[in-house]
Amino acid sequence: MSVLPWLVAAWLFGVGVYGVATSRNFIHLIGCLSVCQSSTYVLLLSLGYRWKAVAPIFYDHPPGTLAVDPVVQALVLTDIVVGATITALLLAMALRVDAKHGTLDPQELRPLQGEGH
Amino acid sequence: MLTQLIPLVVVGPMAIAAALLALAHVLPRYVPDVIAIATALGLSAFCGLLGAYALNHGPLTYWFGGWTPGRGVVLGIGFGVDPASAALAAFVGLLFAAAFVFAWGYFDEVHAHFHVLMLLFLAAMVGFCLTRDLFNLFVWFEVMSVSAFALTAYQLETPSLSGALNFTVTNSVAAFMMLGGVGLIYARAGVLDFEALGKVVAGAGHDPVIAGAFCLLAGALMIKGAILPFHFWLSDAHAVAPSPVSVIFSGAMVSVGLFALLKLALQVFGASADSRFLMHGLFIGLGCATSVVGGLMAWGQRHLKRMLAFSTIAHLGIMLIAVATLSATGVAGFLFYAVGHGLVKGALFMIMGILLATKASVDELDLKGLGKDIWPAGIAMGLGGLLLGGGPLGALDTGTRLVHAAAIAIGPLATAAIVLGSALTGAAVLRATGRIFLNLGPDPGDEAEAPSQKDQEKADRPLWLMLAPCLLLLLLAIVPVDGAKLIVARMAGVLASPRSADGAPPLPGTSLVLPCLSIGLAIIIALLDLFRERLPRPLVSATAGGTQIIFRGLKVLHSGLVGDYVVWIVIGLATFSIAFAFH
Repeated sequence: MSVLPWLVAAWLFGVGVYGVATSRNFIHLIGCLSVCQSSTYVLLLSLGYRWKAVAPIFYDHPPGTLAVDPVVQALVLTDIVVGATITALLLAMALRVDAKHGTLDPQELRPLQGEGH
Repeated sequence: MLTQLIPLVVVGPMAIAAALLALAHVLPRYVPDVIAIATALGLSAFCGLLGAYALNHGPLTYWFGGWTPGRGVVLGIGFGVDPASAALAAFVGLLFAAAFVFAWGYFDEVHAHFHVLMLLFLAAMVGFCLTRDLFNLFVWFEVMSVSAFALTAYQLETPSLSGALNFTVTNSVAAFMMLGGVGLIYARAGVLDFEALGKVVAGAGHDPVIAGAFCLLAGALMIKGAILPFHFWLSDAHAVAPSPVSVIFSGAMVSVGLFALLKLALQVFGASADSRFLMHGLFIGLGCATSVVGGLMAWGQRHLKRMLAFSTIAHLGIMLIAVATLSATGVAGFLFYAVGHGLVKGALFMIMGILLATKASVDELDLKGLGKDIWPAGIAMGLGGLLLGGGPLGALDTGTRLVHAAAIAIGPLATAAIVLGSALTGAAVLRATGRIFLNLGPDPGDEAEAPSQKDQEKADRPLWLMLAPCLLLLLLAIVPVDGAKLIVARMAGVLASPRSADGAPPLPGTSLVLPCLSIGLAIIIALLDLFRERLPRPLVSATAGGTQIIFRGLKVLHSGLVGDYVVWIVIGLATFSIAFAFH
């Protein structure tokens, strides 16, 4: 297996986290989070990849044909579903915040800070 | 026979949640409450039954779809019911039942969305406890997170939404880390079953990929378990969630996260020298730091729910110390501690709910002397504070003493951190009790106009209805549990090595000295804080200067900005890898 997918995954995670850490707009931040998540797709798919292998569907291949690992593909599929749920929930919350508060800047939306005394 | 019924623990609550969602608009008003309470109680009883069976006949395993392992290949996804996991699941069910009773009539709307989300949350937590498949663990982690995010934001006000956004973003990063860890270890092992993974890890020796997987998985679970420097989301989320939800968050969700870390460390990475190195070194240090910082932050809060949230962080630090020892005593101590802490903290969050419903505030200074007419809540809160502070009574105390016994090998610093953490959190609750219910302390004057938001929870619920589940939890928390020590020791033994049938080592005897020291310290700190004005002035100003600097520093760190929290997560992960560099 080539080292390239690992580097791509690490890079995607890194830029995603950088985006989340520096973002000044929640919609942008949610986009960065999705970038972060796509690093896990790349990682998982590259883990299961085999050179010169077919898709794991044996309808028109004899059993025993070298195929890519179907388990990681199932994992990625599950992860996409979960990711979509979370993104939808986050976007719904962000819209709600915008409607209530008129801003999407995390700096202006700090949760309540308990004051010391 | 019993094995075939295991999937019901997750299918049951989910099916009932779906049915409630479909039928809620035609059901009479309180029917969803009754159904939810019955489901949680039934689930708790069933998990208890499974646990008792597993204790006598060995752990049960259920393979979904009949995919039993064959010819040495584990392809299926299994639920493994060992006594400790089942007991924790039963406790979670009980806590949910109490929270449902407390939430009776809390939500006006007819669609029972609260009950649906809570039942989904319950199913996810039970699945999280019982699964023996790493990817399945991730799925339950996510289901648990999604329902928790939605429940945090339930009130759809600005504070709850911004708290929920911070919670969602940090815990999503945790999920990505976890998935990355799952991917890495799958790349090495080609299986996802705990037991099969454990065998591969045992045969691998020093492997950077496995070490990396452990770092990512541990980091993810420590975000869920709110360990320094991953803890920031907790105080934002727990402070703004509806009180019945905070009961579950603080009482069960976070400690279940640490339980998963314990299970992985024992069953998957048990034979890995790298993971042991990290657990015995860095993680114990993080546990100590979490305990002290959480305690200090709790003591410095005037927003009571935020104070309890930081107190939860402190106690999670203590639980991490127990987990990280990886010893039978530590594991048994963790099990007692998780249950005891869950009961006490659940009860305390219910009292916050009572204050919010009857007094429309959870600001300590704002509420000074206003608690006289709801004095039973004051007694309960005082008792909760004493138990948190280390009062020698019940499950939390048994757990604390076992953790102390396990931590003796580490050195006096760990012991001091545990004592200080529990004393400070106990002192914070006792101080608030004294101020609100006994009208102690100086008059706040202008300070009473709190900078914290006004918030009220639904007011027209009878006091006894809210107080009953709270008192029940406290009653369970003070029941002496020394008799259960033998059973819990066996549970801990099975957790460490599910296959071996040898008897568990007896738990060490424990002394009364440290609990008394801790509770004494808690009472003294609370009294000193309440009667600051009567102390000699030079003494006050000298100590005030020092504490001011510490609190200001800690407050700057707890910025409330999600970007900062994510940076802290990266710093935490970097610390893990730096620790490895010294291995």
